[in-house]
Amino acid sequence: GSQIRSCKDEQFLHHGPLMQRISAMARKHGIDDVSSNVINLVSHATQERLKDLVSRLSTLAEHRVEIYKI
Amino acid sequence: STEGRVLDKRRLQELVKEVDPLEQLDEDVEEVLLQIADDFIESVVSSSCLVCKHRHSNTLEVKDVQLHLERNWNMWIPGFGSDEIKP
Repeated sequence: GSQIRSCKDEQFLHHGPLMQRISAMARKHGIDDVSSNVINLVSHATQERLKDLVSRLSTLAEHRVEIYKI
Repeated sequence: STEGRVLDKRRLQELVKEVDPLEQLDEDVEEVLLQIADDFIESVVSSSCLVCKHRHSNTLEVKDVQLHLERNWNMWIPGFGSDEIKP
């Protein structure tokens, strides 16, 4: 038979505050309901965005030239 | 204050360690990254709401966010089903 192997999906952003913020923004747009997976997706997307930035910054930092005066 | 913050510095540090275990961030860089995260969430959610309104819905759904992320950020987050908008 087939076997499903999975690991727990850990949220990067704090669920409660994120949910409140998204719901508040949705209400401003006249949207009353937010599907629960949206919170999770926004959390993952933010994580990806930061990962990409940090890895670029890390490369930049390695290329930085420091001039030391003796 | 850290009250109600969606992201804290500890989690940010964990992410940095994941990318590069030897990397150190200045404190002001951390602050900027937290701000960038806030701005990103703001921009993604409000654009997704516009997509949602465009299809005359009253419920913000995963597909609204996915469409925006893919079109504007060239980002595809796996594991959320609904492959219908993939070409």
